Amino acid sequence: MTTGIVPHAAAVTRRALMVGASAIAMMLMGAPSFAADVSGDLVLLDWASGSEQDMIKALEDGFMKANPNVHFKEINLTVQGDARGAIRAALQSGEKADIFINTWPAFRKELADAGLLRDLGPLWDSAKLGDNLSDAWKALGTTDGKLYGITYTFGDRSAMFYKTETMKKAGIDTQPTTWDEFVSNFKKLNDAKVIPIAIGAKVWSHAEWFESIYEHLNGVEKAADLAAHKIPWTDDSVKNTLKKWAELIKAGCCGDANTMLAMDWDNASDAVMKAGTHGYQMIGMWNNDRAQSTDGLKSGVDFSIQQFPAMGAGHDDVSSVDSKEFSGLTIGSNQAAADAFLTWITTAEAANIVAAHNLASPSNKVDASLYSTVVKASVDAVSKDKVQFVLGDLLPGDLVDEYRVQLQKFLQDPSDAGIDAVTQAIEAKAATAY
Amino acid sequence: MTDVALQSRGGQRDTPPAAEGGARERTALRRWIADAPAAYLLLAPVLVLFAFSVVYPLIQTIWLSFFDIKGLAKPRFYGFGNFVTLFYDGNFRQAVVTTLLWTVCTTALSVGAGWGIALLSALAPRQTLIFRFMIFAAFGVSEAVTGYIWLGIYRPDASGLLNSLLYGIGLGQFAHPWLGDAHTAIWCLIIAYSWAQTGLPLLLIYAATQAISKNVLEAAYVDGASPLQIMRHIIAPLSMPGVRVALFINLLGSLRAFDTIYVLTAGGPVRSTETIGFFMFRESFTQFKLGYGAAATLVLLVAVLIVSLPAIIQRTAGAR
Repeated sequence: MTTGIVPHAAAVTRRALMVGASAIAMMLMGAPSFAADVSGDLVLLDWASGSEQDMIKALEDGFMKANPNVHFKEINLTVQGDARGAIRAALQSGEKADIFINTWPAFRKELADAGLLRDLGPLWDSAKLGDNLSDAWKALGTTDGKLYGITYTFGDRSAMFYKTETMKKAGIDTQPTTWDEFVSNFKKLNDAKVIPIAIGAKVWSHAEWFESIYEHLNGVEKAADLAAHKIPWTDDSVKNTLKKWAELIKAGCCGDANTMLAMDWDNASDAVMKAGTHGYQMIGMWNNDRAQSTDGLKSGVDFSIQQFPAMGAGHDDVSSVDSKEFSGLTIGSNQAAADAFLTWITTAEAANIVAAHNLASPSNKVDASLYSTVVKASVDAVSKDKVQFVLGDLLPGDLVDEYRVQLQKFLQDPSDAGIDAVTQAIEAKAATAY
Repeated sequence: MTDVALQSRGGQRDTPPAAEGGARERTALRRWIADAPAAYLLLAPVLVLFAFSVVYPLIQTIWLSFFDIKGLAKPRFYGFGNFVTLFYDGNFRQAVVTTLLWTVCTTALSVGAGWGIALLSALAPRQTLIFRFMIFAAFGVSEAVTGYIWLGIYRPDASGLLNSLLYGIGLGQFAHPWLGDAHTAIWCLIIAYSWAQTGLPLLLIYAATQAISKNVLEAAYVDGASPLQIMRHIIAPLSMPGVRVALFINLLGSLRAFDTIYVLTAGGPVRSTETIGFFMFRESFTQFKLGYGAAATLVLLVAVLIVSLPAIIQRTAGAR
């Protein structure tokens, strides 16, 4: 029972024994929580920013309130864009942290292979984390059969944001549920001088469309196989996905390619939420908070979301998701406090802090009434679907860059010849990336 | 002086020339031995700093370039493999071409504009003071901030300054997603970067024009030369030392440019604005292929040395 708390039996300390005893007591009470007898500094390697950073602070405060003898210390990484470089640099330069935030399954594997992550499987069992998190979340945090991450928030990546006023202007009263309905609405939007879809293809967000189309045409299992390179990128499933996307482009979905390539995801968000020049944007749930805090829009009133439309290929019960997790690091010096935090993060108290910050919590103890309309809609949609982690975060770093650049090329030339060239280029890179 | 010293020590004037030369060398050697410790002691702080901040990172970079490093995985000795891979990497070859275009154009534009403004300013120094100050102020703005300023100008939507201006003056048909089009993005970057870099050449060349003797200018006026002739035949040729220094500094700056590119296009669209510096960043810090990035760094270093060495040799040729 205590193996998750005290990793080396020979190094059992008095404090660890106390924590173990406390955990046993908690288990007997049926509550997966640690008592307040953990102590010392708990070091978090933190790269969150903006409103998410506020939430992390609130979580730290909540945990310290429940465990007054623990003091949170942060190693803050100020980053723009992909944070992995900064995290690697921090770890290589000898920073010692007990826990850190991760959102990339491929990075989790890299860290695990380097011996930096602790196996949290024993903690899952001993602290009965399964009472608060379903096995699906355990699976999402697992790499090579070992649990390395405890998910604390997730986002629906198959959600399309739209402004209600824009749809009203185009005469669209109901959300299109099928692909054909969705495409047929393009004419109404174009007639209202609205470009149906905003795609910010400057760096990465254009790939969202490829991923959702792929999963709806081929299912999550095949998507997982593609991510693991069990099937080549020249496979028909990839080509058919791009052909389906090309149909959208030919139907006038997205304006010209150069405009897409000039926009990042935030420009696309502005085009939908602020200017109303575009109809939909498929993007992560952080856009929900942005729309409220930056654009001053009211969730569920001024803007809303709808799930990716059904394509009728037998895989319409899928959602693309992202998630953030806390992982335990082997280089930390306070594993007892780390385990206490990783347990506490699944509780109702922590989940409600997450919900109050406009994000979805995976904990089944969360008070769903705290969710805004949009977050609630996303949680409802994801909870009834098979989920697939966003593909870009599953690919090796070397490959993901090429994948995104080649999809930019696809936007420039969505012809069959262009699709062949794009899939061959990604496959050539994939052949050397694993 | 040496002879006097020898005589004062009882040296004989009839000493054979060879022996005299040998004694002279021995004395010089003794003096060097006597002076060297003091000289090195005084130089030591700088040498130590130089060793830590330049020599060690350079050796480390060279060392890294011989390893295959992917993320946090264990490094694997790769010999010259990274350099061979670079040679065959289409993205790197494109980055080299882009770097050449970028470096030549930004240097020519910024130094050319700085030179032109400096020559005009030399004719009316007082009247152009504020103008010069404003242009130089742009040089004081960080490259990243410059990038954000121009991002606002080039935005593809109606809130982009350039496009809204075009719409405002009835030329809306020329509005364009400037940074999304591979054909226009690199030129937009070149304009933005050159704008920010014009201040230094202006300052250097203007200073060179102010060093021109007043007598020369007055003589030209007396001889009836027009302002245009004075500019063409006197100020322009005599401002060349400033132009050479400006060319050297801006060339090096352009080769190493990164921030403006990162903010404005992130190397896109489709890698069309990716220079060697950006390539190095992407490989080293986004993909964390430190060995490969180090190899690219060394290629960039060689390019910088090729540009620098002639200028350094020329500038130090007269020094003893």
